[in-house]
Amino acid sequence: MIRRTILAAGALAALFALAPPPARAADGAAPAPLEVTLAPDAANPPAPRMGDRLTYHAVIRNPSPTAEASGVVAWLTILRVDAGHEQAIDLEDWSANKALTIPALGPGGSARSDWSLRLIAPGTYRVLVSAATRDAPVPAIGTGAIFSIAPKPVVESARVLPVALGVPAALALLLVARLFAGRRGAAPEA
Amino acid sequence: MSPAFAIARREGGELLTSPRGLAWLLAAAFAFTGFALLLVGSTQLGLLDNAQVVYDMAGMTIALGALLTAVMGVDAVAGDRERGALLPLLATAAPRRAILLGKLGGQALAWLAMVALALPYLWAVGSTGQNLGAALVGLVLLGTPVALAIGAGAMALGARLRSARAALLSALIGLMLVASPLAIGPSLRQSALGRGFDAVNPFSGAVNALDAMVIDGQALAAQGWHLALVFGWLALAYGLALRALHAPRRPGEEIVS
Repeated sequence: MIRRTILAAGALAALFALAPPPARAADGAAPAPLEVTLAPDAANPPAPRMGDRLTYHAVIRNPSPTAEASGVVAWLTILRVDAGHEQAIDLEDWSANKALTIPALGPGGSARSDWSLRLIAPGTYRVLVSAATRDAPVPAIGTGAIFSIAPKPVVESARVLPVALGVPAALALLLVARLFAGRRGAAPEA
Repeated sequence: MSPAFAIARREGGELLTSPRGLAWLLAAAFAFTGFALLLVGSTQLGLLDNAQVVYDMAGMTIALGALLTAVMGVDAVAGDRERGALLPLLATAAPRRAILLGKLGGQALAWLAMVALALPYLWAVGSTGQNLGAALVGLVLLGTPVALAIGAGAMALGARLRSARAALLSALIGLMLVASPLAIGPSLRQSALGRGFDAVNPFSGAVNALDAMVIDGQALAAQGWHLALVFGWLALAYGLALRALHAPRRPGEEIVS
């Protein structure tokens, strides 16, 4: 996890370090930050449970009428907001599409992306999609509404493992004992 | 002791106490273990609803039990015939109905052993336990006639076909066909052909009733058609096996010729 974060940070740093000088608008002003809007899919379950899927649609827009936004990177963030459990969630199991790159967004241009989530753990969450460019100093963020994931009973490894390993082991012992007893019974008397 | 009881005790006891029978149960335990480990080893499978997992495990129990009774059914007639043990048995004063009931009784004991083996696994995957009662009732009331119908059908095949190998192969192919609803989910069986197959297949009857009871929480009383289907097949398979034990394969040819 730490190594992945370092690698991701390194890749982003390299992207920004190797980037050409910031593109300026025709009037020489700094490029305007991107705009990100995020909306849930109409088919999302109204009361999601663990295991359900949610889809969000993000639109990343370059509001500048003159400057191109180049090297756009957009990424998904899931925040758990339950009191006492606040944290950013590792997307490992939650989403397969974690980041998106757009080489360039022309003046006034926009790009649409869909983000699919598999709800892994119960709790209250907020989804964010952030977008940064080589030039904008601060990423633009689009936020979704807070949603709660209801728990559901699923398989508990702590119960399964002892049974899954114990039953065959017990039967194997019984079989060995039976074979051993059979051999002793069949042995000729001295 | 009645002949049927004596035969059932010998056939069932052979499975439960002999090394070969224990090895079969061990193999079945490995199958349950493999499924259970798949569930806890995969995030996607681990998120399956508790009731869904209990239903899957119950369906797997019926399939393994039916496999066991199919092999036992073929062995009980064709195997005994090839070992030279069937003729002495048929030559006794025991009526063939009693012989058939005894051999089916042995299969019933084997099936109960399979259910007993599945119990800890069902408990382990049914974390909250709310579906365990329904699964157990479904296994006993619907799984038993299915397993015994397949065992009786295998005995009929063993009596009708000349070689044990041909009978075993036919029984296993038939079992794969009837157990296909385990691999093809209900949503994929909604075509006219799928619905027709479900309407007459005893295995479909059992798993559909388990689905309704374990996943949908329906009452056993609502499973009348499924119960009638599985018990109807048991009666039919019993009749076929009894007829095969009585009737010669061809005119002038006895079952043990």
